[in-house]
Amino acid sequence: MMPLTIADRGVEYTIRKIGGNSEVRQHLADLGFVVGGNVSVINEVNGNLIVNVKESRVAIGKELATRIMI
Amino acid sequence: MADSKITIALAGNPNSGKTTLFNALTGSNQFVGNWPGVTVEKKEGRLKGHKDVMIEDLPGIYSLSPYTTEEVVSRNFLVDENPDGILNIVDGTNLERNLYLTTQLLELGIPVVVAVNMADLIEKNGDKIDLKKLSKELGVEVISISALKGTGIMEAAEAALKAAEAKKNAKPIKFAKDVEGALTDIEGLLGGVPAHLKRWFAVKLFERDDKLPENVAALAPKAEEIITKIENAHDDDSESIITNERYEWIASALKGTYGKKGAGELSVSDKIDKIVTNRWLALPIFFCVMWLVYYVSVTTVGTFVTDWTNDGLFGDGYYLFGNGREEYTEAMNEYYAANVWTDEVTANVQKAADAGITGADEILAAIEDGDYEAFDEAYGFYGAELDEKADGAYSISDTVDTALGEDAELPANEDYGNWVPGVPVLVENLLDAINCNDFLKSLILDGIIAGVGAVLGFVPQMFVLFAFLAFLESCGYMARIAFVMDRIFRKFGLSGKSFIPVLIGTGCGVPGVMASRTIENERDRRMTIMTTTFIPCGAKLPIIALITSALFKGASWVAPSAYFLGIGAIIISGIILKKTKMFAGDPAPFVMELPAYHWPTVGNILRSMWERGWSFIKKAGSIILLSSIVIWAGSTFGWTDGAFGWNPDLELEDSVLGAFGNGIKWIFAPLGFDDIKATIATVMGLVAKEEVVGVFGVLDFEGLTALAGYAFLAFNLLCAPCFAAIGAIKREMNSAKWTWFAIGYQCLLAYVVAFIIFQLGSLVTGAGNIFGGIIAIALVAGIIWLLVRPYKEATTLQTAKA
Repeated sequence: MMPLTIADRGVEYTIRKIGGNSEVRQHLADLGFVVGGNVSVINEVNGNLIVNVKESRVAIGKELATRIMI
Repeated sequence: MADSKITIALAGNPNSGKTTLFNALTGSNQFVGNWPGVTVEKKEGRLKGHKDVMIEDLPGIYSLSPYTTEEVVSRNFLVDENPDGILNIVDGTNLERNLYLTTQLLELGIPVVVAVNMADLIEKNGDKIDLKKLSKELGVEVISISALKGTGIMEAAEAALKAAEAKKNAKPIKFAKDVEGALTDIEGLLGGVPAHLKRWFAVKLFERDDKLPENVAALAPKAEEIITKIENAHDDDSESIITNERYEWIASALKGTYGKKGAGELSVSDKIDKIVTNRWLALPIFFCVMWLVYYVSVTTVGTFVTDWTNDGLFGDGYYLFGNGREEYTEAMNEYYAANVWTDEVTANVQKAADAGITGADEILAAIEDGDYEAFDEAYGFYGAELDEKADGAYSISDTVDTALGEDAELPANEDYGNWVPGVPVLVENLLDAINCNDFLKSLILDGIIAGVGAVLGFVPQMFVLFAFLAFLESCGYMARIAFVMDRIFRKFGLSGKSFIPVLIGTGCGVPGVMASRTIENERDRRMTIMTTTFIPCGAKLPIIALITSALFKGASWVAPSAYFLGIGAIIISGIILKKTKMFAGDPAPFVMELPAYHWPTVGNILRSMWERGWSFIKKAGSIILLSSIVIWAGSTFGWTDGAFGWNPDLELEDSVLGAFGNGIKWIFAPLGFDDIKATIATVMGLVAKEEVVGVFGVLDFEGLTALAGYAFLAFNLLCAPCFAAIGAIKREMNSAKWTWFAIGYQCLLAYVVAFIIFQLGSLVTGAGNIFGGIIAIALVAGIIWLLVRPYKEATTLQTAKA
């Protein structure tokens, strides 16, 4: 397992674990980040990521991206 | 009749096209307000062609979880207000995520109709979507629409209406067997709730939702045993179990419904993002875009329209389509050449220019160019200099006054082309015609029209700017800016989402402060509200321009320095406030959906522009109108030869306003401008920042040094914003205490910054006093200490639990 921050761009990964408190986890889940779901990184700016999750593009901060394990 | 009215709730994800659909369904029959107790906008409107049907536009949400204000507001409405039906709009290009909310809406026991937006786009991409099968899976009617083109929308609304009238309640989706069993058990515990809401509350109890009504929350301990059993079996917490069940159900429902060809490929939008949010190109692109926006709205289109409003509509008048302007200008230039610029006048000005009198060269240049407008401007600024220097040897005022005096026969505007007189002229003629008394005439012309007109002069420029910002917002670029700026803003305790209010604040602080609503975290939002108005807004630009031209000879560094001052104040405030107990804790982690780039509709841009501009106009019509009258009264009531009374020609010093300024001017002495006019200008700035210029336009700048002038500028840029913006702060803070804190902080910071600038500057130029210098150095040291001291632990969470 590794955090999403070091994922290769354009490669599809499966989410294995999501850390953080329940509020953060639920918010991520509402946006489509669920364990077992797919995710791929489109672009990266200073640690912040634009990812493709369930066909929508979501920008997430570095702090959150480190909690998503792939 | 209230009971014959049908209410349909419009629900959907952000960026799903919900606003476009709502506007298309209701047209102009909209009522905008706030949800009770919170600063979330509440919009409702009558369905076109159905007078008795209300469409309630719920906030854009991803889920009905209890974590954001928008979600809580939406679920409270759906559960407590019992709408007759729900029209759920889902983005067809992003079905999986959008249906997540749908699965929750189906649990409420209310009729639901699903409108799949952008279904036409899916087909165009070569993907397939089987709406019939989807409808069968969901158990509700599914209709394909295009909110943008307006196809299918009335059908969708009418289907929702029909379902609502037939009371065809939606059926919840089925979870795994053991979860279903647990939910049935929990439903058994729910005695007192209406039958149609049992499923909803059972799921919420199972999720350990903490925003349940008391009678349901009381059952939580009883349900605990049931929940724990399932959690152990799944080795997961109950909330995640439900979330996973929903996504699994969606995945299986979409199997065979939704075929995607180009999975894994980069879309056009992704390719744009690769460039626009590129690590190196993002900021240069952003600055280019903003430069373009400002160039068009402030210097070209905006200025043209603003000049027309100020000098034409609310001035003497204007030429319809410019017809006659050239002829008039020519006639005026000829008149000036013959009567004003006599050989004697030209010789005097030449002598003054040779002697190095300030401004003489500008007057001379205007004469040589034969440009009467430039001459008027230069003479207005520097004419007095010529009168005063060398005992009036260079004076040209006698000739000028005679040539332009009341008895002079100047070319008249109305003799050329299609001249339309301005509002003040028309009103004055009207008032003269009905023999209105002087007092009322002065109140209407000098108080109301002059005051409100000055403010309204900024409206066109603001509208142009808002149109651009609305375009950037709705095409999807604004969300990218927030994303790019996030890493930078995070360094001083704000998030990328705080950047949008600041950006809009460069136009006007009122919508800027209002734009802070998108920030979910309350701490971050309060801090953004407090700092947004530091950035120079459109109305502060004239102050900057005036000080620049009058005290710094138009130096090009002054205007940019004002923006740096504003940005600096935001950064310093961010760091300092973040280290206090009140704001301790990291800013909320950044997460934001980036909608695919698209062309917004003209209608939506105009609507957004109008809403923001209108909120400003309403302020101009209420607060600013009232303040203008008060200030008019203050400046026309006063003492003439020792007797108190009304006198329209009163000198400022003798008026009530002057006495007031005189009484409080000591406050600004340490800042270098203990001058009645500067004091009054600052107070007037609270009404509207451009009023500062109105007072200062006639001020003799010899009373102020350049340094004091800059301190004055700094104070006026940073102190409490105008009443309109203060009103916006109060509404967004939703608390009197926080409003006062914000205003107090802004004034204090402004005072300290102006104090440091003036006192340290005086020391450097050798004119300062040691005492003031020491305090200034101590203040600088204090600010540095506040900046570098360690962050406080986030104690708020712990105390809340204790």
